[in-house]
Amino acid sequence: MRYILLSLTILFFVVPTQAQQPTNVQAMDTPNDAGKSITVTWKRSNLPPSAIYKVAISESQSGPFLPIADIKPTENLMSKDAATFGHGAETSQTHFLKVSEYTDPNDAEKKIAIETDKTYYVQVTTQLPSGQTFPSDILPIQAFENLFNNTKTNNFILGTVFSIIILIAIYMARRREMYIRRIAGLEAIDEALGRATEMGKSVLFVHGLTGMGHVSTIASVNILSQIARRTAEFNTELKVANRDPVVMAVSQEVVKESYLNAGRPDAYNDDMVFLAATEQFSYAAALDGMMVREKPAANIMMGYFYAESLLLAETGASTGAIQIAGTDSYTQLPFFITTCDYTLMGEELYAASAYLAREPKLLGSLKGMDIGKAFLLFALLFGTLFATLGNQTLTHIFTAY
Amino acid sequence: MKDFLLNIDRRIIFVFVALGVIIPSLTAFKLPIKPTPYVQAIYNTVEEVAKNKGTILISFDYGPGSDAEIQPMALAILRQCFRKGVKVVGMCHWPDAVGLAERAFAEMAAEFSAKSGVDYTFLGYKTGAGTLVLGMGQDFQGAFSQDTQGNNTADLPITRNIRSLTDFDYVIALAAGNTPEQAWIPFGQERYKFKFGVGCTAVMAPDQYPYLQSGQMNGLIGGLAGAAEYETLVNKPGKATGGMGAQSTVHLIIILFIILGNAMYFLYGRQKGGAQ
Amino acid sequence: MLFLRRTLPLALAFILGITGIFVFYVPHSTSQLIETELALWDRIIWAFAMLLGIYSLLKLHLGRVRKQQAGWGYSFLVFFGFFLMFIFSVYNSGNGPFVPRSNAPEDPFNWMFQYVQVPADATMFSILAFFIASAAYRTFRARTPEAAILLVAAIIVMLGRVPIGAVISDFFPMASTWLMDVPNLAAKRGILLGVSLGAIATALRIIFGIERAYLGGGE
Repeated sequence: MRYILLSLTILFFVVPTQAQQPTNVQAMDTPNDAGKSITVTWKRSNLPPSAIYKVAISESQSGPFLPIADIKPTENLMSKDAATFGHGAETSQTHFLKVSEYTDPNDAEKKIAIETDKTYYVQVTTQLPSGQTFPSDILPIQAFENLFNNTKTNNFILGTVFSIIILIAIYMARRREMYIRRIAGLEAIDEALGRATEMGKSVLFVHGLTGMGHVSTIASVNILSQIARRTAEFNTELKVANRDPVVMAVSQEVVKESYLNAGRPDAYNDDMVFLAATEQFSYAAALDGMMVREKPAANIMMGYFYAESLLLAETGASTGAIQIAGTDSYTQLPFFITTCDYTLMGEELYAASAYLAREPKLLGSLKGMDIGKAFLLFALLFGTLFATLGNQTLTHIFTAY
Repeated sequence: MKDFLLNIDRRIIFVFVALGVIIPSLTAFKLPIKPTPYVQAIYNTVEEVAKNKGTILISFDYGPGSDAEIQPMALAILRQCFRKGVKVVGMCHWPDAVGLAERAFAEMAAEFSAKSGVDYTFLGYKTGAGTLVLGMGQDFQGAFSQDTQGNNTADLPITRNIRSLTDFDYVIALAAGNTPEQAWIPFGQERYKFKFGVGCTAVMAPDQYPYLQSGQMNGLIGGLAGAAEYETLVNKPGKATGGMGAQSTVHLIIILFIILGNAMYFLYGRQKGGAQ
Repeated sequence: MLFLRRTLPLALAFILGITGIFVFYVPHSTSQLIETELALWDRIIWAFAMLLGIYSLLKLHLGRVRKQQAGWGYSFLVFFGFFLMFIFSVYNSGNGPFVPRSNAPEDPFNWMFQYVQVPADATMFSILAFFIASAAYRTFRARTPEAAILLVAAIIVMLGRVPIGAVISDFFPMASTWLMDVPNLAAKRGILLGVSLGAIATALRIIFGIERAYLGGGE
C-alpha cells in the first residue's frame, strides 16, 4: 500500500514537475564578444501561452536570485539569432537569453553590469498560469573575452579570398601586359586640360564631401596627383577646392609633389589647394561663385557627392566649362550624367589612377576586381536558383551578421 | 518657335517652378496623405518602445540646408516620443545641426513640459562620425561624458544606465549626408545590432533601399513627403503637410515640361538630330 | 628625408590598415581598446586639421582682397562672418568661453545661426528644385526605347512620391514603391557590388604600398 501511495505521489507531483521544469538548461559565455555577457539556453516545451519562464541571477549559489527577464513560451527562440546560433533545426526548439546586466536590488533604477571572469549563478523557472513554479537546477557561469568573432567567419573567408585573388592578379600583372578598356571620361581629361591651356584659363578640381577615411576620397586624390602632373607640364593654372581640412593638407602635399616630379616646383604655391568651406551648401555656394566669376575652362569633380552635385554641375555647365565628374555615389550619378560632358561611374573612379598611370601593378588590381566580380555573379546566379528551389545554404553563406 | 519649344530657356522653367511653389503655399491647397509602409515602420517601432517607456537615440545629422525637409521629421518624432513618454537622447554628427536640434527639443519640450535630463537630453556635436559611433558602442558615457549643459551622462537619470548603443531601444538617424551608410550601419548597427531607422532628404532616400531590404534599417522617412506622412501618423499636420501642395504642383510642372520636351522632340527634333 | 616622406607613411599605412582589419574580427577588449584609441586619434587629428583649414580659408581670402581679384568684396564678408561668429561664440551670452554654450534663442550666436545661416543654406538647397526641373526637361528625351522606359518610370515615381499621385490613382504610389524596391534596388546593388570590390582593391593597394599616388608623385 505504501508503495502504491508513493507511486501515485510520484505520478501526480514529480512527473508533472519534471514535465514543466525547464529542460536542458545551459549557461555559457556569450560568444563573439569582449566578455561582460552570459547566455542562458533551455529547451522549448509545450506550455500554455500565458505561462512564463523566469530567468534569475545571483552572485552566490545560495542566492538571493534577482530577476533578469520574463520570457514567453513563444519568445527568444535561437532561430531569431542566426548569427550566434546558426540555422539548424534545433534553433526553433531552444530558448535563449543574453544577459549583460541586471537590476540593482537596492535601486530599481540602477543596473549592474555583468563582469568578466566572475562567477554568476543562473536559474530558469517555469511559472504556470496557476502560479505554480518549477525551477531548474542552478548553473554556474563566467563571462570571458573571445578572440574571434565567429559570426564574421564568412566575411573573413570571402574577404581573404578576394584579397588573395587581387594580390595574385597584381603579381601576374608584372609579367604580362594587361588590356584595359577605354574609359572615355579619363581620355577626356587631357582634352579638358589642353583646352584650358589654349584658353589660358584655370582648371578647377573639386573634391567630394567625404574625408580621407573614404575610398572615394583616396581615389580622387590619386586622380588629382595625375592631373596636377599634367597641369604642371602644360603650365596651366590648377585650383583644388576642399571641404575637409585633412583632405586639403593631403592634396597640398600631392600637388606639390606632382609639380616637383614634373620639374616645375616654382609653379606650385599652397593657395592652389584651398579650403572653400566646411559646410555642404556653403561649399556649393563658394564654388558656384568661383565658377561664375572666374569661369574655369574645365571643372573636374571627383569623390563622393551629395545634394550639392547638381548645384555644382549645373552652374559649371552654364559657364560653358568642360566638365568631368567621377563618383561612386550612385544617387548623384544621374545628376552628373545629365550635366557633365563625361562621368566616371562607380568603380571607374577607383580604376582611374591605374588607368592614368598605366602602372602594371595598379592595372593588375583591376583584373583582380573583374575576377572577383565574375565570382560574385556566379554566386548570385546559383544563390537565386537555389533559393528559388527552397535551398538557402548559399544565401546563408553570404549573409552578413 | 520650333527651336524655342525644343530648347526652352531654363529661366522660363524656373519661373514656372517658382509659381508652382508660391501659389499652392499661399492657398489652402490640401491633399490626402497616406503613410507608406517604411514610414509606418518607424512610427510603429517608437510605439513599441513607448509600451516599455524606453529610450531612443536621435542623431541630428543635417544642416540648415535640409532644415525644411528634415526638421519636420524631427518635430513629429519628438512629438510622438514626448506624448507617449519615450525618453529621447539627442546628438549630432554635423556641427551645424546643433542649433536645429536644440530648437526642436526646446519647442517640443515646452509643449509637453518635458524635463531635460529626465525625459530628454541633448549631447551636442562631436567629430569622428564612424569612429564616434564606434566609441559610443564601446563606451557610451566615455564617448559623451557630458551633455551640452555640462551634466555628466553617468549621473543623468536618462543616461546613467546607457553603457552602449545596445542599451537604446531604437536609434534614428535624421540625415542629409552619408552618416547612415558610412557611420551608423558599418560602425554601429552592424556591430551592436540595435534597431535602426532613418529619416533623410528625398534625394538621399534611394541610397537607403539596400539597407532596408537587408534589415539593417527597419524604416525610412524620405524627404518632405515622408515627413508629411509622419505628421499624419502623429495626427498633427505641420510644415511638411503644408508643403505637399507645392511639392505635388512642382512635380506636375516638371512632368508637363518633360512631356512637352518629348512632344516637341518627336514633332520636330528627330529630323534635326534631337535637341542636346 | 625619404624615410619621413615615403617609408614611414607606407609603414604606417600598412600597420594601421592591418590593425583595422584585425580589430574588425577580434572582439577582445584589447582590440576594442586599440580601436577606441585610433578613433580618438582620428578625431584629434581632424580637430587640428580644422585649424589648418581655417588658416587656408583666411589666407586665400586675404590674398583675394589684397590682389583685388574678381569678387574680392565677398572675401570681406568671409572675414566679417568669421570674426562676428567667433566673437559671439566666445561671448556666449555674457558667460564666456569656459562654460557650456548657451542655447537661449536670444543668444547672438544662436540668433545669427537661426536667422542668417539657416535661411542662406536653405536658399542654396532650394535652388536644387529649379536645377532639377531644367535638367530633367533638357535630358529626359525618349531617344531610344531604353530612354523611353526610364522616362515612364521617372514619371510614375514622381507622381507616386507625392500625395497628388494617390489622388489621381492608387496605382502611382504602388507602382512607385515597386519601382524603388525592385528594379531600382537591383541596379543599385549591381553598382554597389562593383564599388565594394573596387574599395577592397583600392584598400589593398594602399595597405601593401602598391598605390602611392596619395603620397604625391607616385614614385
